[in-house]
Amino acid sequence: MSYPKYFMEKGGFKMDISMKHGAEKNPFITLNPPERAVIFMQQHIGVCNGPLVKKGERVLTGQKVGDAVGKMRVPVHSSVTGIVEDIREVYHPVLNRLETAVLVRMEGSEEMKPLPSTNLDSRKEIVDMVREAGIVGMGGAAFPTHVKLTSKGVHTFIVNAKESDPNLVCDVRLMIEKPEDIVKGIMLMVKALNARRIIFATRTREGEIPELEEIMLEHGIEIVRVTPSYSVGSEKLLVKELLGVEVPTGKFPPDIGVVVNNVSTAYAVYRAAYLKEPLISRGLSFYSDTTGIDNLWFRAGTTLRELMEGLEHETRRYDRFVMGSLMMGWSVGLPHTPLLKYSAGLTALTPEFPKPYDEQLKCIRCGYCDSVCPVDIYPSLIMKAEKEDDIDALKRLHVEDCILCNLCSYVCPSRIRLTKHLWDGKDKSRA
Amino acid sequence: MKSEMPPHIHIGTSKDKFMLKTFTAMLVPAFIAVLAIGEVAFYHLMIAVGTALGIHYLIFLMQRLKNKKPTYPTPYSPLVAAMIVGLSMPVLAPYWLTASVSALMILVFKYGQGYFFTRKYVNPAAAAKALLLVGLSIMIFLSEPLRTGLIFHPHHLRLDLLSAEGFSSVDRFYSTDSLTAFRSLILWKTHGWLGGVSGLAVLVVGTLLTLWAKLKWRIIVSLLLTMAILAAATGFITGGYVLLRIAFHVFTGSVIFLAFFMATEPQTTPMTYTGQYLFGFSLALLTFGLQLFNVLGGSIIALVILNIFTDKFDKIVLRKPYGHREVKT
Repeated sequence: MSYPKYFMEKGGFKMDISMKHGAEKNPFITLNPPERAVIFMQQHIGVCNGPLVKKGERVLTGQKVGDAVGKMRVPVHSSVTGIVEDIREVYHPVLNRLETAVLVRMEGSEEMKPLPSTNLDSRKEIVDMVREAGIVGMGGAAFPTHVKLTSKGVHTFIVNAKESDPNLVCDVRLMIEKPEDIVKGIMLMVKALNARRIIFATRTREGEIPELEEIMLEHGIEIVRVTPSYSVGSEKLLVKELLGVEVPTGKFPPDIGVVVNNVSTAYAVYRAAYLKEPLISRGLSFYSDTTGIDNLWFRAGTTLRELMEGLEHETRRYDRFVMGSLMMGWSVGLPHTPLLKYSAGLTALTPEFPKPYDEQLKCIRCGYCDSVCPVDIYPSLIMKAEKEDDIDALKRLHVEDCILCNLCSYVCPSRIRLTKHLWDGKDKSRA
Repeated sequence: MKSEMPPHIHIGTSKDKFMLKTFTAMLVPAFIAVLAIGEVAFYHLMIAVGTALGIHYLIFLMQRLKNKKPTYPTPYSPLVAAMIVGLSMPVLAPYWLTASVSALMILVFKYGQGYFFTRKYVNPAAAAKALLLVGLSIMIFLSEPLRTGLIFHPHHLRLDLLSAEGFSSVDRFYSTDSLTAFRSLILWKTHGWLGGVSGLAVLVVGTLLTLWAKLKWRIIVSLLLTMAILAAATGFITGGYVLLRIAFHVFTGSVIFLAFFMATEPQTTPMTYTGQYLFGFSLALLTFGLQLFNVLGGSIIALVILNIFTDKFDKIVLRKPYGHREVKT
């Protein structure tokens, strides 16, 4: 059974997804723990953590090394057993700025600090466990999962297993390898939310992962095969695709009684509940021109250099690495940059890999960006308004509704990275 | 290596590909024009293309010599504009006129607009043709300004399109040896714009191009539909052959060719969907009005006028984005 070669986007534009063809068949390769783990204090949306450890202190695998006060706080844990070598500012590959990180040098044999026991029949204890385990949205947004699980009046729980990015397959691989565990994680989240309806949104075909389908059926989980398109992977658009409703502007799915969580998040919940393991490792799709896509199981804080060495790749061959999705992730050139606990993808690009946006031309007003926009804003007019600092126009054009999917840049014949203008436009309209 | 923002992949579209698709599509009406009209059409097209490309290369070389970034690094855009000039010229035009329109188009309205403004505000081919032909038509010191300017050609001015009897003379005007005026307008005519020799061919090729290059189809639909409705209404009011009315107003070379190849020119037309519908509608109203008063190339004048108001069209009604529409519960 083969997947389509393309995703079809609005306006009749095709997105080539041949990169991930067949890669879901590649089993996870478990990488060795890093010699030196770089644990960022900020690995979620919300309040930045402060370090809980001091330089020279011995830490265990799974030990909390950073936390904060407040609702939007998610602790971070050491992914190795060793000594805190330093606490300093390191380049953060997602926030694109320097951020505080705890550097742990592996030393001695590995010792695990398990999470405290949880009464899995108690909704409150499940939520507390999810927070203590440092679980965040694993689809790339890193929204604190425990915050979602405290939503009131939720009638529908959606598991996003769409994995719509052109270079990611690790979620599908996880579904093949850990079907039962995923369902256990889903059921715990459903218990915490007290949701009546559970929808599993996937791009896999019927019969492709029979074991998973069977278990889901037993648990009353609806499996919905979603439209093969990149943009439908976005949380708000997925809600519309599945339920036919739109999340009002400025609101979130829980405001209309829906909670969406990624399939890898469900698996992280399982590990926390049943293995007492906080979120210190996860699956990742790694692409290089020589190997294609490999599915890796890595520890958070592993640097790109260590990952490359573990795979016996010559780091020097590559001049940039894209973290996460090729459509939404930033590229970094520094091999000592660490992977985060929610990094789902890594692409190593050689200097020969095309740089399509290097020679941007003037906008020809072809309207391709407007046609492809999944939320029906006008990126081209927003770009103009942003350049002219026309705040009224930015608001009138609803720049705040942009989901930053980057499809507008992807189709632009003038090769304009509209992304920058949309980001800046959002900032300006909020100011 | 500096970190770079997303995305890192691209669908593969480019301005050049867009232009090449348009050029490829235009080869069909060009071929038909040469087939129907003969070498005269061929010379017109060659003169239009040769003039524009010659000037383009001179400017390109000058820019290179001065180490300036070329305005048009490839010849595709000038080539398409030149082809549009060639195909929008009437058969009756003298060759020097085609060369002049082409030169004016590339120098003033393509390079000039790009140089002095942030973008093109009027369609280069339409603006060049309108300026030159209207200009010539009002030069009363010429012996035959109307005949020279073509847009207000005396042949056209004698037509009475406001009555059924007057309109019947269209029969004589457009019928060919083997076809009636109705068929000739749609299939094969040797009068009018070169690009509109076969209205049906333009309709088919234009539709395919619209799908292939993802042109602003709302303008085309609204323009042609409004023209058809206005023509039908006029036919019913004045009496006479309604289908011939529709064929005449929709399939004259100026309207059908302009609808697909000029009114959809990206830079000079609205971006918003409502703006595009209104643009096509207004273009049809204005063109139809000018046609009724025998300004038979009036569509380009209408286009240039509306081009100027493109930014206004973009402000009229915006589609409602996700999250602002009615929420079903």
